[in-house]
Amino acid sequence: MKRTSIGSRIGLPAAVAGLLIFTLFPVYWMMSTALDPRASSRGSDILPSGVSFEHFSRVWNEGDFDRYLLNSAIVGLGTILAAAALSLFAAVAVARFRFKFRTSVLIMILIVQMVPLEALVIPLFLQMRDYEMLNSLLGLTIVYIALSLPFAIWTLRGFVATVPKEVEEAAYIDGCTWPRMFWSVLLPLVAPGLVATSVFAFITAWNEFVFAYTFMKDSDKYTAAVGIYQFFGENDTAWGPVMASSTLITLPVLIFFVIVQRRLASGLAAGAIKG
Amino acid sequence: MKESIAAEAALAPPKEPSRPGRASADAARRRKRLVTVTRPWLLLAPSLVVLAGLLLWPLIEVGKLSLQDYEVKFGGGVGTWTGFDNYADLLSNDLLWRTVLPNTAFFAFACVILTVGFGTLVALLLNRLGTLWRVVCSTAIMAAWAMPAVTGTYVWVWLFAPEDGLMSKVAGGLGLIDPETTNWFTERLGFYAIATLNVIHHGFPFVAITVLAGLMTVPKELYEAGMIDGASAWQRFWRITVPALRPIFLVVTILSTIWDFKVFTQIFLMPGGSGSNEEVMNLGVYSYIEAFAKNDYGAGAAAAVMLTLLLIAITLVYIRTLFRQGEEDL
Repeated sequence: MKRTSIGSRIGLPAAVAGLLIFTLFPVYWMMSTALDPRASSRGSDILPSGVSFEHFSRVWNEGDFDRYLLNSAIVGLGTILAAAALSLFAAVAVARFRFKFRTSVLIMILIVQMVPLEALVIPLFLQMRDYEMLNSLLGLTIVYIALSLPFAIWTLRGFVATVPKEVEEAAYIDGCTWPRMFWSVLLPLVAPGLVATSVFAFITAWNEFVFAYTFMKDSDKYTAAVGIYQFFGENDTAWGPVMASSTLITLPVLIFFVIVQRRLASGLAAGAIKG
Repeated sequence: MKESIAAEAALAPPKEPSRPGRASADAARRRKRLVTVTRPWLLLAPSLVVLAGLLLWPLIEVGKLSLQDYEVKFGGGVGTWTGFDNYADLLSNDLLWRTVLPNTAFFAFACVILTVGFGTLVALLLNRLGTLWRVVCSTAIMAAWAMPAVTGTYVWVWLFAPEDGLMSKVAGGLGLIDPETTNWFTERLGFYAIATLNVIHHGFPFVAITVLAGLMTVPKELYEAGMIDGASAWQRFWRITVPALRPIFLVVTILSTIWDFKVFTQIFLMPGGSGSNEEVMNLGVYSYIEAFAKNDYGAGAAAAVMLTLLLIAITLVYIRTLFRQGEEDL
């Protein structure tokens, strides 16, 4: 379908340029403000007035951002480990077995995923307070495991379903038991999907704001997404430090996303189209 | 397709090599049947426990809480049952009808239309590009997608910040506004226009990638036939692309509707969004403020239940759509 009219010869590059500017400009503006020593007064200067890491060092040393990032990383790692294991088991169950109430279980998982966080945060806050689990990284991790599970199960189910049944049968013929087949045959084949799903679980935990903001009242237990709030004033905001900490939060996610983007995109699309 | 094949295969249990001895074979078969029945549930159990404990149970609790007057005292809270008082208060509140619900609904509506529309345009664009530019563009799209809601919101707030922000400077330089006195965040329309931009930037990648995946499945021959018949690009889009991608558009639209109704972080983190400016509240923020700023957990719960019911209604439409598309064997 090669057809070159004047319209498409000019229109296509213009559209690509527009798209790139719209998608990347906020990222550029964030990073360049973080590096600009006179951040708040840069106004409409497209290039930063200089390059310095003073905002980063301020955020890191005075703003305790090293601790917040560590907290976020701990919560994120706990979430992935648990969510990957639980969702893999559940995904194998719904993709490989036919059993009573299977569809009901799937629909329940789907419905539960749609629940707004504001409806969950009130009762969970009261409960965690009664158990004295507020200000606890473990308490937060448990909540994030639950938040990331429905999506993880739903996506992994698609990956498990694409592993040909014949591969499993071959393993049985070779005398494998079911657990052996699971470890040595199914797991390696699903591993790429598992990585993509885990990254998504990590991002869920890393980015989450509502629960972390509500549960974590001690400043040494803040996650990064909440720690940034301290630089933000209603009237006077220190934009340099805010953008420096935003950059620190965004970079890991950006890197992960680009690494798994193809797999994630196809898995997400498959999950969405197939339901 | 693949799934139904896998499902059929799942119906036939794998055959193990037969062992000598009829009695032991019988026992083995019985044990095997027991295992096939219990194994899926054993595999599901941990996930179901977590989901039931942390998602389903709080939903029931929030429903109960919405029927109570809940007071926080030392050593725990005390709830007094008050029937539907919280709902009566909520529904008779002028703020809900004048501000909160219109904000929630119009914002969601605008976001869905614009996200799906823009995402589709981007997908059509990507579909026409060569490999190199498609990779470049989809990586850029991924960067927009990866931007966390928290930091993304701060960047948009910074771009539109009164006086110092880029957009204020540019608009002031063009003589459109007086940057000294203009604050876009204090007005409902300006506030939500910026929030909409933020949500579109964050939400269109999912639409674009999903629709692109769909576009690639539409047979090229259909377009060639259309061209031979003299259909314009516009006609080809509406007569071939749209009908072929109808199911994908439905799913993408409903999912976006669900997501955009419950936008919270992006509103809460904007100036005035965390309750200090009532004009810009949406249902989620209203519920949160009632519960955590005013310590009226019952009223907050009632608003949260309302939002949940709204979302469940949309979700049921979504599930029906999935089933209509012939996914009966999920």
